[in-house]
Amino acid sequence: MMEQPVHTTLTKNICYHCGEPFVDEIIEFQEKEFCCQGCKNVYELLNDHELSNYYTCDVNPGISPSNQNFDYLNKPAFRDKLIQFSNQEVSKVSFNLPSIHCRSCLYLLENLHKLNPGIIKTQLNFGKKDLSIWFKENEISLGELASLLAKIGYEPLLSEESEGKEKKKRLSQQTQLFIKLGVAGFCAGNIMLFSFPEYLGIEDGSLKNLFGYLNLVLGSIALFYSGSDYFKNIWAHLKLKKITIEMPILLGVMVGYSRSVYEILSHTGAGYMDSVSGLLFFLLVGKWFQQKSFDFLSFERKYTSYFPLVITKIIHGNEETAPLSEIKVGDRLRIRNEEIIPADAILMKGKSNMDYSFVTGESEWVPIQSGNLIYAGGKHHGEMIEIEVKKDLQQSHLTQLWEQQAFKDPSFKMENWENFANQVGVYFTIGLITLATVVAAYWIQVDPSKWQNSVVSILVIACPCALAISYPFALGHGVRWLSKFHLYVKDIQALERMGQVDTLVFDKTGTLTLAKSEAPKNQLNRHISEQELDLLYSLSVQSTHPLSRRLCAYTQSLGNRNLIHLSSFKEIPGKGLEAKWGDLTIKLGSAKFLDINYHSPQDFYSSESQLFIQIGEESLGYLDFPWENRDGVEYMLRKLQHHYDVYLVSGDKASHAKSLKDWFSEEGHMKFECSPMDKMEFIRELQAAGKKVMMIGDGLNDAGALQQAHVGIAVSDDHLHFTPASDAILQGRSLSRLPEFLQFSQKAITLIKMSFLVSLVYNAIGLSFAVQGNLSPLVAAILMPVNSISMLIIATWGMNIYGKQIKNKLKSYTVHNLAEENHILSPDIKRTLQSSMEY
Amino acid sequence: MEIMYLMIFLSLLMAIGFLLAFIWFVRSGQQDDLITPGMRILNDDKKTIN
Repeated sequence: MMEQPVHTTLTKNICYHCGEPFVDEIIEFQEKEFCCQGCKNVYELLNDHELSNYYTCDVNPGISPSNQNFDYLNKPAFRDKLIQFSNQEVSKVSFNLPSIHCRSCLYLLENLHKLNPGIIKTQLNFGKKDLSIWFKENEISLGELASLLAKIGYEPLLSEESEGKEKKKRLSQQTQLFIKLGVAGFCAGNIMLFSFPEYLGIEDGSLKNLFGYLNLVLGSIALFYSGSDYFKNIWAHLKLKKITIEMPILLGVMVGYSRSVYEILSHTGAGYMDSVSGLLFFLLVGKWFQQKSFDFLSFERKYTSYFPLVITKIIHGNEETAPLSEIKVGDRLRIRNEEIIPADAILMKGKSNMDYSFVTGESEWVPIQSGNLIYAGGKHHGEMIEIEVKKDLQQSHLTQLWEQQAFKDPSFKMENWENFANQVGVYFTIGLITLATVVAAYWIQVDPSKWQNSVVSILVIACPCALAISYPFALGHGVRWLSKFHLYVKDIQALERMGQVDTLVFDKTGTLTLAKSEAPKNQLNRHISEQELDLLYSLSVQSTHPLSRRLCAYTQSLGNRNLIHLSSFKEIPGKGLEAKWGDLTIKLGSAKFLDINYHSPQDFYSSESQLFIQIGEESLGYLDFPWENRDGVEYMLRKLQHHYDVYLVSGDKASHAKSLKDWFSEEGHMKFECSPMDKMEFIRELQAAGKKVMMIGDGLNDAGALQQAHVGIAVSDDHLHFTPASDAILQGRSLSRLPEFLQFSQKAITLIKMSFLVSLVYNAIGLSFAVQGNLSPLVAAILMPVNSISMLIIATWGMNIYGKQIKNKLKSYTVHNLAEENHILSPDIKRTLQSSMEY
Repeated sequence: MEIMYLMIFLSLLMAIGFLLAFIWFVRSGQQDDLITPGMRILNDDKKTIN
């Protein structure tokens, strides 16, 4: 048998523009094939403007375009926020474009001026996925500009963070730190040069004084300019009566600095300016490294970021768009299909199927008749409706979540949690001061001339800089490594908290399971004929219920369907469908609806989604539409249970509690029908019992719990578009690797502790000189940088080794995955696996 | 040894020059994006397709 050449089949079946496989029809244009009209239009547009080089940079680089209308951006309320700079001729705006992915994007976006003469210049920041555009506002409006971007496949992501001012502020903070770092490096380097005569023991009075004064100037710049943030920080903490790791560091730095000033001005010595400025430099390097980690993910989101930016108001019968913040009680709003309800309201006109999965986690749609109350956060499906706002945005059902303490106080987690470095800082400070006092007391007795010297040296040499350096470096590298495995951690503190967790709480729907549009498990009693399939199709096509839609799609996948006219169609919400074909009654729905005695089978795959079928008097059995587990979830839960307390909270009904018993075996480890508040309360209860809880959830309905937990991980399949208030974002397909990630974070903390021990050895050497009162500047100048650098090296090497370990593990994991899984799975699950394979 | 004073002065001047250059390029945004320029250079202006 001849083998088919693979590449021809590959290139033939995908769209020339976006590389997606064809679904419906193929559109041919200029001997190229496109999957949709949109892709063809983009190609045509680019080709007309001689931008077809776009397709040479990468293979099928395009993205299917969107037709979103951005006209509302032309309103002053939006325009003024977005525009960063504007005069009569030129305006500048910058958009975040999440779909940027390759060099072709760069080519196209930087040639945007060829598409529209109103655009003067564009500049892309690839790393941040930010496009800055200089354009003439009288030729192309902001709305048109955004629509143009959407039309070629780069729909801008608009949120509060995209406001011009915010962006500038963030950038200037980074610049500030970088300059401070540079200045500190400059001062430290030059001071060390000027200290060389001192190190080498060259005696030359006049030069020595000159060097001393130069060091004094440079050292003062380093301390008071570069180190200014430390002063501010410590002052803020002192006001709260808290000791941090920075306190003993600054104490050492200040003592060293004062002593140096005294020695230089009194011509009695060279001081410790080199150590002081060198230390500041290394501390700033650590801080810079810490800040560098994440630019492109924004974690601090408010509830308003989930709502549409713009609403359609009806004023005297006319439609008018307005920003979200202008919603008032009594306003009439028009809501289109798939739009989100911004505030609690009453449905005035039309019918709606409300998808509250965002708010409650419940996956089934709720049909709502006019006159009924609807809640903010619901997603409307169906014809266009009109609603009247009943509650302010701030008092809505959903926004109340954010009124909880966890949300009100942004530093809630930080302040309620002692990290290792700060804890050690307290003991360290106490120990240090005790030692200094004892030594001072000793020298006052024995040789009063030496006591000042020894106390100063102790405070200078014993500063716990090791922690201040190894902490940000080890954890910073950890954050970087995890992001390679698609776990995006907000900051290094969150990573440290991850290592301390002992309890895990999972959300079910959307986190452990995913609704997949795949073929259902066939549990019918007999084979069904083509005509019966047509009947099922004709019945299910009339309903918008998710299960009906899945059945409809399934029947279509089995062949071409004919629509049969059915009479007396009835949909009983929450139960099922019913219609007549001639004298034959066809029923679809739950077991209860069809009066069937049924016990759900005991496997994880079964869920609430069984659809029973009855034609005439004959009950045909059911189709089981699977809620597919994410890959490897069973294995992951198994593994996690060895080390952690694992819980499940879900907004779903408890009807299938039995099926989950395999993984949440202990009593009370599963909670169903939880509202967002219940979830948060549950976490609080666990915390009150002294547990360190990690919440793994998704969506808005878990936001409260995510925020309340020690570590909240949001599982998301599209991390750029949807990020609830969380400490980390985990891409759905990496969820199964959670055990490795947790282990990694624990290792990081062990590494920090180890490097702390190493630095204690250095400190012991330094202190042995210091207590004798003869710590020479040379010893200090060697010991301190060597200490700092070795911390840096340990942290970097250690974390890279650990990182590579997981990388290798994950590689082999994918190979042995199935074998291992089969090994530890219960017989029930094995059977399910087998049956799903047979299918 | 008087020459030392001049040399120290000059060396410090040079170092300050570099420091100012550093501050200038950080402020003017040359550090903001280290990825894109490297990619930009690979893009041709001429049309080469087909």
